[in-house]
Amino acid sequence: MSRKTRDVLSVEWVKLELIRTAYATRGGLFAKMDPRMVISWYLILAVVPWLTHDLVTIIALFALTAVSAALARVGPLVLGLFLIGFVTDFGYAFGAAWVFGGDHETALALVEITLKLATVSLASIAAFVSLDPEELSTGLLAWKAPELLAFGVSYGYRMMPILFEEFGTVFTGLRLRSPQGKKGFLGLRALWRWGTWAVQAFYPIFLNTAKSVRTTVESLETRGFTAAQGRDLRIAQLSIGALDVAVVAVTAVAVVGAFELDALFTIA
Amino acid sequence: MSPIIEIDRLSFRYPGAERDSLRNVCLTIEEGDFVAVIGGNGSGKTTLCKTLNGLVPHYWEGEFAGEVRVDGVDTYDSTVATLSSTVGYVYQDFQNQLVRPRVRDEVEFGPTNFGMADYAERATEAMQMLGISHLADRFVWQLSGGQAHLTALASVLAMRPRIIVVDEPVAEVDPAGAHALYERLTELNQIHGITVIVIEHHAEFIAQYAKSVVLMDDGAPVWHLPAPQAAARAAELASHGIPAPQIVAACEGLELAAAPRTVDEAAAVLRTAGARQRPSWTAEAVAGSAGQATREGQPTTEGEERRPVAVASAVSHGYRSVAGDLMPVLTDVDLTIRAGDRVALVGGNGAGKSTLMRLLCGLQVPRGGSVTLDGIDTKKSSATKLAEHAAYLFQRPEQMFLKDSIRADVRLFPAGRKRADADALVDRVLDRVRLSDFADRDGRTLSGGQQRRATLAIGLAMTPSLLLADEPTASLDVASRDSVISMLDELSGAIAAAVVATHDMHLVAEWATRVIVLGGGGVLADVTPSELFASDALLEGAHVVPPQITALGRALGIDPAPLSVAQWREAVALADASETVEVTA
Repeated sequence: MSRKTRDVLSVEWVKLELIRTAYATRGGLFAKMDPRMVISWYLILAVVPWLTHDLVTIIALFALTAVSAALARVGPLVLGLFLIGFVTDFGYAFGAAWVFGGDHETALALVEITLKLATVSLASIAAFVSLDPEELSTGLLAWKAPELLAFGVSYGYRMMPILFEEFGTVFTGLRLRSPQGKKGFLGLRALWRWGTWAVQAFYPIFLNTAKSVRTTVESLETRGFTAAQGRDLRIAQLSIGALDVAVVAVTAVAVVGAFELDALFTIA
Repeated sequence: MSPIIEIDRLSFRYPGAERDSLRNVCLTIEEGDFVAVIGGNGSGKTTLCKTLNGLVPHYWEGEFAGEVRVDGVDTYDSTVATLSSTVGYVYQDFQNQLVRPRVRDEVEFGPTNFGMADYAERATEAMQMLGISHLADRFVWQLSGGQAHLTALASVLAMRPRIIVVDEPVAEVDPAGAHALYERLTELNQIHGITVIVIEHHAEFIAQYAKSVVLMDDGAPVWHLPAPQAAARAAELASHGIPAPQIVAACEGLELAAAPRTVDEAAAVLRTAGARQRPSWTAEAVAGSAGQATREGQPTTEGEERRPVAVASAVSHGYRSVAGDLMPVLTDVDLTIRAGDRVALVGGNGAGKSTLMRLLCGLQVPRGGSVTLDGIDTKKSSATKLAEHAAYLFQRPEQMFLKDSIRADVRLFPAGRKRADADALVDRVLDRVRLSDFADRDGRTLSGGQQRRATLAIGLAMTPSLLLADEPTASLDVASRDSVISMLDELSGAIAAAVVATHDMHLVAEWATRVIVLGGGGVLADVTPSELFASDALLEGAHVVPPQITALGRALGIDPAPLSVAQWREAVALADASETVEVTA
């Protein structure tokens, strides 16, 4: 047995990927846009797949969102999780059709719904990977969301790496100090132990966090968070530019094009 | 000057508390003052400061009597939000005060919330005043302790307050950082006329920076005196848990009635008085002196080869950054920790102290080279197996409290590894760190010093060969710090070798036998504490400030410079006295 420091698929890697994803540090097309326009763009692509049953249109829309995801520079962790979901869904669709005695039409119907879901998932991945929490929360403010929700979004993201780090430390402590045992059949016992520790780790984390949040709440009070007179100043930081309009326009044309394809090819 | 804070017959009791936290406080603070509020734990220092920005009684609604006027405004009739534009408050656990992801957002947060249109200028100005403009686009979790502290200060400064309260500024930053912070506060005080109030335990900072001192005891001020007069009451301060600065103790040791504020002042006073080195004080004498008495049992000669406990050979390690690059931390480090070693790892933030310790205990394995712990290659074993050979104590004690009582936490490891004498071992260890009376309490409810001792107990119960501790004396008051140092001192028999990463030069001077200075990705020096404090180049490379007593010894040309007040007494005498010594000798 030999241990080595791994750069991918390690706890540290997951933490870094979360930060990169949350704060859009990879850049990409949508990261440069106004958050309100990114959310609008997402809403377009989240709705249109449900307005058609035509497989060609759906495939075209899927291709459109796939290109978007590439332009948004989605990281390997999120993309990997998406692909696992996508592939297992397809497998399930064919499996279900075969087991329940369906024919190719049943399978096609299931493929259609899977593709629709994948399209919407890819669009949301592309949008939310590109929005950093500050932009997202300011965008929500501009749309009259309550101040507390907007702050919650931004604060949640701020706490995420800290909590992840805390979890890692506490979990390591448990792993080193708790009773050891056999790996069991297929490592099931070891897996069970790890699961137990993961749950046990929440006890110290909750208490430690509760203690530190007291300062946070007091400090929010002293810094006028409850005075809440800053909404207009924050919204004033946003501006819609040529890029925003262009991206939404191109998307709209592409969507219309996808629906027109249906007239050119007719399958099924 | 006019008073900016007037407190008249103020009493306050927290909801559900059995007695008043503040009792009949009368206090006036002039505008432009630099006040140190001192006093033991539970004397009401923090509660007093929280009355200034209205957190008491508007946020903490308890029984409130009397009157507090800040800049002419009665705080009872005002609100926390309004008062906060006059009074800025920086917390002791300032990390939790930072609520925004980036430094600039953080500093703009206050002014934006109050709808101030010039929030951006205010933020830029505040960051410039503190010299942190270059950090504006950093994420707050990337900051070092000192940088985070300055960010918290900048975020209250952006409100352009007339009073700034800083709760225990030295607690969570290294000595160089603490001095930098105090220099900034002094600038704000002198150039911008801001009234500064600090809650402080460390007499050396009070003596050097404060203009006046308020001593609190049991919820009321004992006195409010100009700093020089306050410093002269060394005995009274000591009885309230604030030992005199070492330089004052040094003068006292020679029966000089002086209260110098800085090392230079003390050196001048002592030169005039004719202090000089005793002839009996030589490098050989140091080995047997008071401060070193407990280290006699250990072989020090290089001839005897002591058992190697941990060996790092050609170790290189680094981390991936958010941008994906590999940030090298250690490059080609060779190091052997032998039985009997008491190693202090020193070096600036990011020098790789924690990384080296994680590698030595096998929590991580190096990217290049190898680490051997008790003869086992850490790459060939698992972290859980290696835990039987090395115990690593995290910097924040509460991260080691996994169970609901200290006893359960200490017992976890020996019971889990099926040690027959687990219960006896736990009792013995708890007794040793003097926590038997607290064994059934959750670690989080203990005081700072007790928490550190509890983590020591957890480490000891693992019966390791190598004990590693990350900043074991950080954020402790002087008395708790001394108790932890003496505890470490007593434990040397139970473990083969100990390594601590630290910024605390008192710990280095009074405990360590070997100092490893890390910097530039490698070992800059591997020396004794005396050698470290004798070299300016090393001190600078390590980003450390020597203890006052050592600096004073060097200023007076005493060689080797004393590491503790006890050594100072052996090393130095007044001119006529030393002649007597010579005659009798």
